[in-house]
Amino acid sequence: MARLIRTEKEVEGRFTEQWIVVEEDALDQWPAGPRTVVGQPTRRVDGVERATGAAVYTADVQLPGMLHAAVLRSPHARARLVRLDLDAVRAAPGVRAVIGPDDLDVLTSEPCYEGHGVAAVAADSFEAARAALELAAPEWEVLEPLLDPEEAVRRESLLAEPRRHDRGDFDRGLAAADVVVQAEYRTQTLLHNPLETHQSVCHWEGDTLVLYTSTQNIWGVRDEVADAFGLPHDGVRVICRFMGGGFGAKNDAGDYTLVAAELARRTGRPVRCALTRREENVVSGNRNATIQRLTAAARSDGTLTALGGEFVSALGWDGWLGPTAGPMQMLYACANVRTVEYGAKLNLPPMAAFRAPGFVEGTFGLECLLDELAARLELDPLELRRRNHADSDGTDDRPYTSKNLMECYRRAETHWERRHEVRARSEGPWKRGVGMASQIWYGGGGPPSYAWIRVGSDGRAVVVTAMQDIGTGTRTAMAQIAAEELGVPLEHVRVEIGDSARGPYSVISGGSSTTPSMGPAVRSAAADVKRQILEIAAQRFHLEERVLDLKGGNVVSADGGSWSLEEVTGLLEDAQILGKGARGPNPTGMRVMTFGAQVAEVAVDVETGEVRVERVAAIHDVGRIVNPLGASSQVEGGIIQAIGHALSEERLDDPATGLVLTQTLDAYKVPTIADVPEIVTELVDVPDEHLTNLGSKGLGEPPIIPTAAAIANAIRDATGADVRSLPITREELLHALEAAREQERRGAAAPA
Amino acid sequence: MELRRPPDAQHAVAALGNGSLALAGGTDLVPLLRDGIVRADTLVHLADAVPRGIDGTRIGAGTTLAELEVDPQVPAALREACAQAASPQLRSMGTIGGNLRQATRCWYWRLRFPCWLHGGEVCHAKAGQHREHAIFGNERCASAHPSDPAAALLALGARVRTDRRELSVAELYRLPTDESRDVVVLAPDELVLELDVPLPDASVYLKAMDRKKWAFPLVGVAAARFGDRVAFGLAGVAPIPWAVDSADDLDRATPLPGTAYKVQIARALIARAFSAL
Repeated sequence: MARLIRTEKEVEGRFTEQWIVVEEDALDQWPAGPRTVVGQPTRRVDGVERATGAAVYTADVQLPGMLHAAVLRSPHARARLVRLDLDAVRAAPGVRAVIGPDDLDVLTSEPCYEGHGVAAVAADSFEAARAALELAAPEWEVLEPLLDPEEAVRRESLLAEPRRHDRGDFDRGLAAADVVVQAEYRTQTLLHNPLETHQSVCHWEGDTLVLYTSTQNIWGVRDEVADAFGLPHDGVRVICRFMGGGFGAKNDAGDYTLVAAELARRTGRPVRCALTRREENVVSGNRNATIQRLTAAARSDGTLTALGGEFVSALGWDGWLGPTAGPMQMLYACANVRTVEYGAKLNLPPMAAFRAPGFVEGTFGLECLLDELAARLELDPLELRRRNHADSDGTDDRPYTSKNLMECYRRAETHWERRHEVRARSEGPWKRGVGMASQIWYGGGGPPSYAWIRVGSDGRAVVVTAMQDIGTGTRTAMAQIAAEELGVPLEHVRVEIGDSARGPYSVISGGSSTTPSMGPAVRSAAADVKRQILEIAAQRFHLEERVLDLKGGNVVSADGGSWSLEEVTGLLEDAQILGKGARGPNPTGMRVMTFGAQVAEVAVDVETGEVRVERVAAIHDVGRIVNPLGASSQVEGGIIQAIGHALSEERLDDPATGLVLTQTLDAYKVPTIADVPEIVTELVDVPDEHLTNLGSKGLGEPPIIPTAAAIANAIRDATGADVRSLPITREELLHALEAAREQERRGAAAPA
Repeated sequence: MELRRPPDAQHAVAALGNGSLALAGGTDLVPLLRDGIVRADTLVHLADAVPRGIDGTRIGAGTTLAELEVDPQVPAALREACAQAASPQLRSMGTIGGNLRQATRCWYWRLRFPCWLHGGEVCHAKAGQHREHAIFGNERCASAHPSDPAAALLALGARVRTDRRELSVAELYRLPTDESRDVVVLAPDELVLELDVPLPDASVYLKAMDRKKWAFPLVGVAAARFGDRVAFGLAGVAPIPWAVDSADDLDRATPLPGTAYKVQIARALIARAFSAL
């Protein structure tokens, strides 16, 4: 029976209360451990398509008569348009339509950040479109930009009310402590840089807008664009069968989609609007920089008595305040916690979600601070973490649906024990050390999410759902889940996704929610199909349903009978067996979180400031693992991206003008394959017994969370230097080493 | 835009100047054209116009970095500088002649800020973001020269033969001035044809960068020993490749607040290069 419930829905730490209709989730979970298909390392079902180029990404979409759009973007962080010659643009060769600030909400004559859209043109080629925009000859009154986040907080230029969390009595906690450590940490602005830049191709078929887009959120784009054009929601059909990465920056429609849709409407032709790499690095979103002033207080046995933090997030002109204080509030048991978070509104390009927004930044600060505390207490950092393990959610005392962080710590020990041997390998200027950090994050997913499955007379199953696979391998995971439940080989299952006109609603691929949201729906649909097949078989072979099962592509009976699935479904001719499944609710009154720990080994050249990450061991607890091969690939990707965050990536803005200086990939330095260390992945793989029929949580985000802190802690272990600012460039490291030497000199000079 | 492919150096030189630019590997020129930093009516392709190949100490200007990095005739410093430059794809396209002429990576210059090097009044990097910038010769412009091989050729005392003269690599470069913002002394229609690279007794190139591969030098140090004399050439520390006699010369560096760390790195790399010889 469909049930209407009021529930708390979470995406990346943003909670909303909403009504949802859920169906009962009557299926028992599979027993723990690898099954026939689920839990087996499985190559991607679409790997060959991707590798051979057969997979059609938005960047590959070519429609007859397609025009190309280019967007005139503000060259200033804050300015007022004085003059703009759109007539000259209109008259340029190959131009088919031009729109300006009055024509679309996402275009403006008073840009508030570099790259803010001003006008757009559709032309026969991208080159013609760009050339035409050169003729717009805009004149600007350039205004003073607000760029400093601390100044913004002072002037109350904020995108949200300051967010405060105060539990227990922080001051009393401080007073009860034997040791108090305080430090300021900074994290930088980071850019997503997916391989496929943000882009859409829009085409009107009558009153329906057909929209190919590189997105993590087919249904969100559908609703956003439909609302913008005053259409019924299914007046927009969103298609994204393959996409080249998003990392959180492709959760919304984006100005390029609205521009393409409007230009397509005006020209009656398909229009592509694709960001260039430079636009991508300026306007497609970013992980906002943070300043974190943190305090940790503990008794001499390591028991935390107080945690406090003031967090300033430099959000840019738009965006939302990520849960940067989340790790401080939740990672450890501490009765007295006081945090305040400010979201500074600045004349800089808007932030966007980026792989565990808030927690990546907040974990860097907290987990470095905890190691500074361990050093002061002369306690083993791993032991300090164990002693402060949180048995329930500290923010509201809710029990966790499952938590195996202690098991992660236990497995981390083997890697942590290597530190003596690693340190001993220090040689000359190369100092070696080992550091660790813990991870907490959401990732439970939730309803609604739906799947349909149809099985035809050939016994093959097609899973149909309008889900997107952002490259994490969820298409493969869904095929595995359906095959497992149906008892058929993986090759007998097709997964058709990526089209809002051809399948039911699926969750956004963000917040590590796709597998935990869609997986249970697919299993539920498969169970519905299986039930029907067994009912048919029972009638066909005059047996009771309860003695029948589906295994290895056969209907088998308890007395040893076996009939191929085709033999049963072959009766159907053109009739089909149709199953549907929905994601059930999350347990009420409980908290669903993911956990983990990472141990990093580094070598540091103390003369030149070079840092080499030599090994990272990652142990994560995300419930049942559907595809161990896909999971280790997620962990590796997260750690590699985190190494970029830790060591080399940083968007640099000109402090005078607010213009982005690192617009190309030679200046914005993502790690190369040569920078990738040995990565050891271990997954606890214990199903969460309270979480749906599957017991799986998401793994997209957890692995990126603790790496930077583990690296910084390893650097301290190797050199004694406290690195408190990301990225840890050679400059940063040499400064930290100098500060450590200075502190040592002062310490030595102090009277005993 | 027109593309010409003259059959020899003489025709190429005749085709250069007046809005015509020489195109070799194109790894720097094509992005500069695309970004509107340099303009050209005609591109003169040099494939048939400049020599390519290595013959003892003589290296054709059209020789690619990929060819240099594996040739045993080439001194170690130059081989190592080529091998640590850019990526394999870029090294397979980029020529040593073009590499000597490559432009700074200063982000202000690349983003067409109206800076001093572009003919304007101020260096935006000095008051702005300059962690990749210069510690020497930075009074007017803080840009850093990005070429690894040029530093090696400087240390090796290489000579350059153009269509009209011969000069040392040290003489090829000059700090830009108010009158001319060029970093080389060559005429607009002058073509580098060949290098003569003396064989040292020993040489080495050491490079500090932001990641292990595919990054321009924060500091590159080339060292070459001829008998008991050691010469050093530095990349990434000045608007042009910079020669120093010893680490003591770093005492005269004029770093910006954000480039002081480069002095420390240069000191360490010079000491290491010296002991490697």
